[in-house]
Amino acid sequence: MPPEFSVRSDSVDVDQIMTQIRARIREKRGVDYTEEELRQLASVKLETFLDPTRVRSDLIAHYRIMREPGDASAGPPENYAFDDHLVYGSARGASGRFITRIRKLLNPVLKLFINPNPIIQVLHRQSAINAYYREEFDRTSSLNFELIHNLVLEVTRLGIEVKNLKMRVESVSGRLDFSDRRARALESVVQYRPGTGPEAEMTETAAAPAPAPGGGQAAKREGEAAAAGGPIKGEAQRARRRRRRRGRGGAAGQPVPGNASAVESGPGGEASEDGGDTPAARGGAGDGLPFDGGEAGPAGAPAPGTGEPTDQ
Amino acid sequence: MKLAVVVQRYGLDINGGAELHARYVAEQLARRAEVDVLTTCARDYITWRNELPAGESEVNGVRVRRFPVRRERDPDRFGRQSHYVFGSAHSIADELAWLRSEGPASPALIDSIRLNGAGYDFFIFFSFRYYLAYHGIRAAASRSLLVPTAERDGAVGLAIFAPVFRGVRALMYNSFEERAMIQAASGNEAVPHVVVGVGSEVPARTNPERFRQKYGITSPFVVYVGRIDENKGCKELFSHFERYTRALRGNLSLVLMGNSILPIPDNPRIRHLGFVSDEDKFDGIAAAEALIMPSYFESLSMVALEAWALGRPVLANGRCDVLQGQCLRSNAGLFYESYEEFLETLALIQSNRRLAVAMGQNGHEYFQRHYAWPVIVRKYMDMLDRLRADDQGGAVRPPIEPLPGWFARRRTGCLAGNDVVAGLPAGPARRDGRRR
Repeated sequence: MPPEFSVRSDSVDVDQIMTQIRARIREKRGVDYTEEELRQLASVKLETFLDPTRVRSDLIAHYRIMREPGDASAGPPENYAFDDHLVYGSARGASGRFITRIRKLLNPVLKLFINPNPIIQVLHRQSAINAYYREEFDRTSSLNFELIHNLVLEVTRLGIEVKNLKMRVESVSGRLDFSDRRARALESVVQYRPGTGPEAEMTETAAAPAPAPGGGQAAKREGEAAAAGGPIKGEAQRARRRRRRRGRGGAAGQPVPGNASAVESGPGGEASEDGGDTPAARGGAGDGLPFDGGEAGPAGAPAPGTGEPTDQ
Repeated sequence: MKLAVVVQRYGLDINGGAELHARYVAEQLARRAEVDVLTTCARDYITWRNELPAGESEVNGVRVRRFPVRRERDPDRFGRQSHYVFGSAHSIADELAWLRSEGPASPALIDSIRLNGAGYDFFIFFSFRYYLAYHGIRAAASRSLLVPTAERDGAVGLAIFAPVFRGVRALMYNSFEERAMIQAASGNEAVPHVVVGVGSEVPARTNPERFRQKYGITSPFVVYVGRIDENKGCKELFSHFERYTRALRGNLSLVLMGNSILPIPDNPRIRHLGFVSDEDKFDGIAAAEALIMPSYFESLSMVALEAWALGRPVLANGRCDVLQGQCLRSNAGLFYESYEEFLETLALIQSNRRLAVAMGQNGHEYFQRHYAWPVIVRKYMDMLDRLRADDQGGAVRPPIEPLPGWFARRRTGCLAGNDVVAGLPAGPARRDGRRR
């Protein structure tokens, strides 16, 4: 409901009221429609048009009824049968016949000034042309109408399908966003249980000076560094953490043969370090769903390059 | 003073705008002067068929002299000729042929004016566009007053009428807009004139509750009174109102009174009552929130004046200069030119009761000040007295301009009527009668 106008009951000024109303309409509508209003208008129009309940199922039958000869208002005006009787004739009964005779008698005199015969012929021909086009129209109009009817139905159907697809895309997009957010949230809250995690691993490594059978050069290096107790310890921890992260990322993806030794992969380990930036090395992170394979865990994943688990 | 009112049809059952106007004026003037009505035997304005007996009779105390129409109108021929003179360059002879085909051609009536005209002090002709006014004024120009009832259509632009507008003794206009249009078309500013309009027989008391009970209408409503016709803007009204009901929730209904030649939308908020009695009409208007007048062409809307007389505001089509001008001058109605304006104005009238009441009061005052019968009759009598004083003073007036000669009448030198009208100034007039 529009707001009250500031008009006192004892001093109504219609001119002023109309100016206010028009200003408000202009303000509401603007010089041009905004993008949003345009979109809204377009969708409203389209929806009205595409409303399947509004498409007449009896469109053609209705059209045919409208064009029945009984309905004079729907049909075109009657065509003229143009001939010389129409030019010289009169509709005034007995006096008309007399007038017709006089006119025909005076025809030679008339021909001294103009020759009506070409005009009669041209108009007669025009009448025939009109009749021809009317027949053509009658023949094609039914077909055209059927075509339009089918087009309307088809457009309606397509419109509904587009609408459904749009809804599906929106739904999938929403689910994807949600999964992304969930992934980020879980990554940021990774915690290690007591007795596990990088520190515990470091301790285990220090207590076992000999490299694990089948262990790679990296593990060996780490073991040596730990034994030396030098600054390499922290670096090794960071490297291990990095590898763990990479391994977690790769768990869901298809491991790349020969490059899949996610952690302590023996001879392939170096290669893994080098190729770590490729999507494959990141566990096929390109699929964007890092949690789908989370249960298996990188450490448990077999390394196709070695054929055996290497982290035991 | 002896007066003759000349009009194309006359009778109690004839409700055309100009004819009703003529009857009201004749009956009112009959109280102050001796009045005869000169008219035809026709009842139907489409064919002008002779249906009423020729000769003298009396209608509401006014003597009526009827003359036969010589030839019925051929609507097809008239339509073709109208199309030609309004839409193409043509000759004076074409316009005269158009006038004959329009009718009602009653040479007997014109002969009577010519032969017995001296028995009347003045003739008051209604509706400039008909055969009777044109030939009657030419027969007795020095004693002719014209009530043009002109609308903004191609007829105003026809060349045969300009000498008539310049040749009459006085013009009684319905509105300032009509005066401006005719003066621009004919250059007749020097002819004595007055903007007078017409009053209405509005009852002193109405009973809105009786109307509501009779028709079972409980919700607020706006009313349209008149022929339900596309030419009257009803199709646009239906479209706007249906959109309005979709846009704004509420219970406002549209009530239609009058015969319909247009399908009424199947909408529970649009009620068609058909032709109703005067009592129902006035009670209905009094019960309504407002009267809607959607017509594009009006020389004076009598029903709008009746609504104002009953203290109801009016919502008019702003594309009709006359209606817009009346709303502005009276401060008693709003107007619309688009759906957005329709929505805003109707919502405003519906929601702002104080404004609606104030506009109704303004309308009532406007009607009393300008359209009450004493005011109307006074203006007529003042004009007649002035003309008689001029006659008695021996003022010499040039005769009406004669028709061009035989060859000149057949020269194609007249512009299409519609083109002439398109070039005339448009828009509503202000309170002082000048164009905005």
